[in-house]
Formats: sequence, structure tokens, C-alpha cells
Amino acid sequence: MSNESSSELVVKSAPHISGPMSKNRMMKFTFFALLIITAVSAALWSEVTVTNYMSGATGWNLGLTVVICALIAVGVAVGADFLLHKLVSDSELNIWSAAVFGLIVTDSYTLGLPTMNMSMGPPVEAPAAFIFVALISLIGLVVFKKLQGIAGRKFVNPAAAAKFLVLLPIIGGSFLAIEHLPTSILGVPSLAGPLGAGIAPVGANGMASFATYMTGCFANPLVIPPDPTIESIFSMMMLNKYHGWVGGASSIAVIIVGIALFAIGRKYFKWRITASYFIGAAVMSILMSTVYGDADLLVRLMFTLFIGSSIFLGFFMATDPATTPYTGTGQIIFGIGLAVLTVLIQTYMNFFGGSLLALLIMNLTVPLLDRVGIHKSFGR
Amino acid sequence: MANLVKIPEVKEQARIAPIEVFPDPKIAMVLTYQHAGAPNIPSVNVGDSVIIGQKIADSKERVSAPVHSPICGKVIKIDDVFNSCNDTTSQAIWIENDGKKTKDKTLTPISESELSTTSNEILIKKIREAGIIGLGGAGFPTHVKLSPPTTSTIKHLIVNATEGEPYDCADERLLIEKTANILKGVKVIRKILGNPKVIIATKATKVAAIPKIQEVFGSEPETEIVAGHYTYQQGDASLLQKAILGYETPPGKRSHEMGTIVQNVATINAVANAIFEGEPLISRVTTLNGDIAQPKNLLVKIGTPISNIINQNNIDTNDINKLVVAGVMMGHAVPTLDTPINKRTSSIIVFSKKRKPDQPTTACIHCSACISSCPVRLHPVLIYDAITKGNFDKAEKLYLKDCIGCGTCSYVCPSRLPLASTIIASKQ
Repeated sequence: MSNESSSELVVKSAPHISGPMSKNRMMKFTFFALLIITAVSAALWSEVTVTNYMSGATGWNLGLTVVICALIAVGVAVGADFLLHKLVSDSELNIWSAAVFGLIVTDSYTLGLPTMNMSMGPPVEAPAAFIFVALISLIGLVVFKKLQGIAGRKFVNPAAAAKFLVLLPIIGGSFLAIEHLPTSILGVPSLAGPLGAGIAPVGANGMASFATYMTGCFANPLVIPPDPTIESIFSMMMLNKYHGWVGGASSIAVIIVGIALFAIGRKYFKWRITASYFIGAAVMSILMSTVYGDADLLVRLMFTLFIGSSIFLGFFMATDPATTPYTGTGQIIFGIGLAVLTVLIQTYMNFFGGSLLALLIMNLTVPLLDRVGIHKSFGR
Repeated sequence: MANLVKIPEVKEQARIAPIEVFPDPKIAMVLTYQHAGAPNIPSVNVGDSVIIGQKIADSKERVSAPVHSPICGKVIKIDDVFNSCNDTTSQAIWIENDGKKTKDKTLTPISESELSTTSNEILIKKIREAGIIGLGGAGFPTHVKLSPPTTSTIKHLIVNATEGEPYDCADERLLIEKTANILKGVKVIRKILGNPKVIIATKATKVAAIPKIQEVFGSEPETEIVAGHYTYQQGDASLLQKAILGYETPPGKRSHEMGTIVQNVATINAVANAIFEGEPLISRVTTLNGDIAQPKNLLVKIGTPISNIINQNNIDTNDINKLVVAGVMMGHAVPTLDTPINKRTSSIIVFSKKRKPDQPTTACIHCSACISSCPVRLHPVLIYDAITKGNFDKAEKLYLKDCIGCGTCSYVCPSRLPLASTIIASKQ
């Protein structure tokens, strides 16, 4: 018999092998998925260099702006994570997680200059956008990722909460809701009324059709926008929008990359939220169309599903594991709740990035949703 | 069934290695407690001489199984050693081999022709006296399992030949090399249970074993061979019944209450050895696998120190980082190479120091993979959370006690949380 090496044997409880998916691997997959989306957005938007309507001065190339925003957001997040790890002994170093967070901050940031806007505030333009992105990344990582984590559970999506907090002072002004009122300078036809394609006014709004607004908002500002038709706005909403969330520039890119990510890690990514969100949003959109008697149902549907704040958030923010329910049923309710709130906020608050606020509200329901869908075990 | 995770098998070399007879040890350390149930008391003292197959420890309790001397020699010590059955030290009888081959003949064999005229009581008594327990890992005494209440009608005998543990091949080799003996064991059990239908459940990946099974069992009455694409988890008796017969056994209910008995092939082989050879359970086939040059299947005497097997196979002890017995998913890492082989040691898996180290445990990221992977539909992370917060009432409400201990939750966890071990420990 041998006693050699006896004391050196590692004793650990079963199982003695692990699956291929680790936290770092998940983060790497997510990072590269987001990197593809960011790169696609930057490439598409590199066609546009912003020109100030009033002065005619040449501004920043929009694609370059995306790249710089991404570098700043990732750099700030990773740097802050590293510094915290060095300064606070029990702060876990999660470089990949921080890098993912930086890209989510970038992709959920609003850039671009709609053609009809002459007085858009600084957040959507470089170089001011760089400061806002840096602030969101820093506050998001330190306050909403690290400090929230100390509580044992993150209650709100860090990127969404940080964006909301940083932009709160201007959220009701030029940035979002008030400017979207039909009576404001942007003159956006309200969603709380009938919508239609084509140039002619629809229903009682007495304004340009919603599709006209969409074309003006999302089409390439440097070329003459096409006549708004169902086909033209579908093509624009799916392939390339020049304003809104960076990550939502190309809906089709988000859909392909998102589904590929879910396929790779079906058990790890909460695809049920995405599925229920988009189904819920579609149902809500059809319901609103019926209520308001839309001339073209597809206009509202395409807006609801494919604006950047919907398509990107639905795939990459609503599925954040830490701030969403554990159970399958809870996840489905979460997705549907997110959809209902998003449509209601967009319709009645004129807050077209309303999914962000809806997500924060739904995040707060997670402790309750975790009690839903505790199914009985095998044989019971 | 949706929640079944495929775990890659590492059996290519081991499954083609024929069973080799491993030399008897110079000193055997026979654990007195190797089964599930009441512990045994030694029936020999230091200085006593023993012969092969002599009973050396037993209990008067029904749920127990005696142990026997695997070699001829003298009892030199009764002392504690590490017992991998329950991850703690427990009593063992140390026997020094005198090299003789004298066998105890207390367990008288019968011929195959005598089977039909031998009463079930005698057969069950022989199985009990042979010390046979479930060799698939559970260690439940076989004579108890084969004695369901008279109110239970057994309709199905499932021969569990799935061998889900990713590194284990001992059962597969038995299927290939001892097929006829297994059939003899099946006939004994079938007689005891009142001739139920026999279902041989194996995996489609056991390509060498399937033709052998078909050859030997193909013409047997009321016998079905099912070679399915079963996952590791379906080696569990309840999940196997669900896969084959479609029902879910309620927690707390025994298989016999559902009209089914599930027996592992190694156990059935041991039953045949006991009834027709008069051989108590003093050896078993174990797979030597892992980070070694030549994986093997060894017929090894119970009580043989693992160090003998390591040394005999020229495995560098300085390169061993971890040594796992009885499967990488549900088995135990032993603290010393001097741990003896016991009835439940289905495999010895060597983890080299060159292998990539285990990743450290980090905070839960709430991905829910453990929930969507649990084969018995538990919520492992919620149970784990309740246990770590001391809220055992909540853990019980989340069906803590229904855990089958398969380890899948820990396997899939990207944060490497000790979910399974925490739940199993609390369950006990």
C-alpha cells in the first residue's frame, strides 16, 4: 500500500466535471454578438456625416461616432471594473462582463439626426454624446452593477437604469416626450390616433401620416427620402435606420445575431422573454390599431417591433439574466408585461424609447414573478 | 421529457478493453458497511483465520447485506479507513493474504435445471447471504428489493443497462462478456417476481453490446430489448421508467408500487454468480479511466486498496490531482489512494494535474440553466438559496427531498455553484 501523494489529492464534491458553459464563456459569446451588431451599425451609419442645419457646419461622421462611443463605454466600464477590483478586496474582476456592459451602453444609446429636426439637443450628437456615454457607463457599472450586486440581487437593468438616470434631466425636453407631441416643434403624429402609410394626413390628427414621420426620422438624412409606402418603411425599419438606438440600426442584424446567440446557449439565455415580448408587442399593436382604426395596421406594427429601442432591448436587454425572473412562466409574464407597458408608454406618454422605462418597471416586479411558475416536481 | 442535458461520454478506449482479472491484494481492507441500510457488525476478531467467501460481518436487520472475505488469510486489524460509499471513515476488517485459495462452501449453488423447483424464499435467502446490493450505485440490498409486498404485482422487470456515468464501462463489458450469465440472473429474478415482462434497456451507443444482447435474449419469452438514445440522467430508475413505460413514479413511492422492478446488470450478474456458482459478492468489475494511457476494465476483489491498482498500472501517483470513484457525476473524490474498493466502486477515474483546473465558484448570474436542466423539474438555485439562508422550510416546499442527486444542476452552472452537493447534504 502506498501513502505517497495521499495528502495531496483534491477532495471535492460531485460532480467532478463541468459543462462547457462558464460565466466568462457566456460573456464572450454575448460580447462578440454585440460587437457584430455594433460593427454593423457603425458600417451602415458611416455613410452619414452630420451637418448642422442652422450653420451648415460639418460635424462628426455617424459611424465614427459609434466606434468612439463603443471604445469610450467599454474602456470606462472595464477600467472602472479593474479599479474597483484593485481598490475593494471583495470586488470580483469581470472584464468580459464589463466589456459586455460597455457595448450594451453603446447600443442602447440614441444617436443620429433626423432630417426634420433642427433643434435636437446635444445628447444625440458627437462630441457631447461621448460625455453622456462615458457617464452612463461609469454610473451604470459602479452604481447599478457593483453596488446593486452587494445587495445580493440586481433589481434593475444597469444599462437601462444608468441611461435613464443620466438623461432624466432632459428626458421631458428636447430629448424625448415633449418634442414628440403633435403640437411641438417635431410635430410627430400621436400614436393615440389612427395611423397610415402614404403622405396624406390620416384620421383626425390633421397632420402628416405616421409613416411620413417615420421616413423623416429614420431614413438617410443626406438623401431625399422615398415616398412612404408599406414596402419602403418595411425595408427601412428592417435594414437600416439612421436615428435611434445604435444597436437597432439594422433590425435584421439584431434578429440574426440574437437568434444565433440563443441557439448557442439555449439553456443560458432567456429567450422566452424575447419571444413573449415580441408576441405581446405585436398583439398590443394590433389591438391599438383596432381601437384607433388605423388605415394601415402594418405601420404601427413595424414601428412597435422594429424601432431600435424595441428590437435591441427585446433581444439584449430584456434578457439580462440578473434582472429577470428565474422561472419559465415568470419570464413569459415578464415579456408580456414589458410589451404592454412599452406600447402604453409610447402611445400615451409620447415616449418613443418607452421600452427603457417599461423594462425598469418590470425589473422591479421580478421578486414577485419569481414566485410564479414554481412547478411541481417529477411524479407529483 | 424536455429537461435532459447530454453529457459527453469518455468511453472510446475503455469500452473496447476486455475485463482483466486483477491480482488479489496482499492485504484486503473490507469495509463492514457498504450497503444502504443498517450497519454490519464484524463476526471475526483480530487473529482469526478466514477463507475466501467466508462471511465476516453482518447485521440482524432486514435492510442489510453481509460482507465476505475476498481472500484467504488472517485478520490483522479492525480499524477505520475512508469509505467512499458515504464519504467518511468507517470500520474495515484488514486481512493479510496467505496465498491459499480455500473457499467457503456455505453458499451452495444450484443447477439451472433446479431453478424451477427451488422456492423463492430459498433464492432470496441465497441472494441475501451472498451480500448482493445494487451495484449501480445505490447499494440497496437486493434481497429486499426482490421481496415486494404480496399486494404488489410486478408487471415489468427493467434490466438497467444504460450505464449513464460518462466514464464508466464496467456494465457494458459485462453485457458483452457475461451475457449468458446475465440471462441466468434474469431468469432467477423473473422467477422470484412472478414472471414479469423483461425489458433490457440499453443505449444505442453500446454498439458492441447490442448484438450480444439480441443474440442471447432475442429468443427469450416476453423479453424486449430497447436500445434508446438515453441521456446520463435516464440511468436513474424513475427516469428510466418514465422513458420506457411512460409514467412518473411519485416521490416516496417505490418502483414495485408502480408494478416495476429495475435492476442493474452488474447486480443481475452477481445474482447469477451467487445462485449458480455459490459465489458471494467478493469481487466486481470496475473501470479504470480518466487521464491515463490505457483505460481498463478490471475484475477486482472487494477490499483491494486503490493504490494497488494505481501502482500495478504504472500510473504516476505524483501526477494525480484527484481520484474519483463510482463515476464523475455522482461519485466521490477520495482523500487517499489507500481507499479500498467496495461493492459500489463501479469506476476509478484519475484526474491528472495536467488537466485544466476547476473554475472557481462565483456569484450566481440568475441564468436559470439549472432550472431548465433539472430532470426532475426542481428549481435548484432557489433551493440552494433557501438552504444557504437557513430557510429549510422553504427548501422543503421547493421539493428539496425529491432531488435524485444526479448533479446536472452543478454541471450546467456557469458560476460553478455547488448546487447539487449543497442540496444532497441538506436532504440527508
